[in-house]
Amino acid sequence: MKKVDDGPHSWLHEHGDYLYRFAMSRLHNEDLAADMLQETLLAGWKGFDKFAGQSSIRTWLVGILKHKIIDHIRREIRGRNLSEAVENDPTSAYFNSNGSWSDAPAAWKENPEDLFSNEQFYKTLESCINKLPEKQQIVFRMRDITGEDTETTCKTCDVTSTHLHVLLHRARLALRTCLNIHWFERGNRS
Amino acid sequence: MRHACKKISQLASDSLDRPLSLLERLKFKLHLSMCSHCRDFDHNIKLIHKVTAMMHTTDYGQTRLSEKQRQQLHNNLNAIK
Repeated sequence: MKKVDDGPHSWLHEHGDYLYRFAMSRLHNEDLAADMLQETLLAGWKGFDKFAGQSSIRTWLVGILKHKIIDHIRREIRGRNLSEAVENDPTSAYFNSNGSWSDAPAAWKENPEDLFSNEQFYKTLESCINKLPEKQQIVFRMRDITGEDTETTCKTCDVTSTHLHVLLHRARLALRTCLNIHWFERGNRS
Repeated sequence: MRHACKKISQLASDSLDRPLSLLERLKFKLHLSMCSHCRDFDHNIKLIHKVTAMMHTTDYGQTRLSEKQRQQLHNNLNAIK
């Protein structure tokens, strides 16, 4: 049922923090998240007659916000031409020409919970993620941090699932090496 | 045997995103049983995967709109409506 006091101001009051958190967890940028929230409230108000009342207002607004975020990331990728050719293979650096490891991985003994609660490690991880090429960073963040499914990630980034797997492989190789150099080899675990 | 490490590393990564086919699984397991480097790689990226998944759940738990942002949004909504 539509209520008289429904509208962007009351939505902002009731669902603003929730929607903002949702946007932040995907965009990691305060101004951008607030912009997306504003667009969502306005789009919701414009399309309010289409709200059937079958879901809650919050669920409905989250649906709009999701689309706004996907559109935004798509525009970013297109606008800045963040393409990454499959042919140009940066993973060669990690392997010899015969396909064996050029710099063999070593065992890491730490467990994820300890690493996660270690502030120093967290910083190292963040900085390694930030060093990834931009498109790898976007797909890696969507898949491995936000936990978005493959389909949504592909749609958002305009890539096939095969290309997505190639990009994620590159990102994980690079990240593993970066963490090995800046954390595990150094023995600066505390 | 070592020639396959590059391809095996792709399978290790893929296994985090999609179910491997039966043939892929066999190839992967057989290789890992013989190659400690690939076993370490597989373990390393799974460890990273677990930590990054935790980042999401806690990262923005306490995030709220600031009063300034909230006021700004109210103003903008008034201006546009």
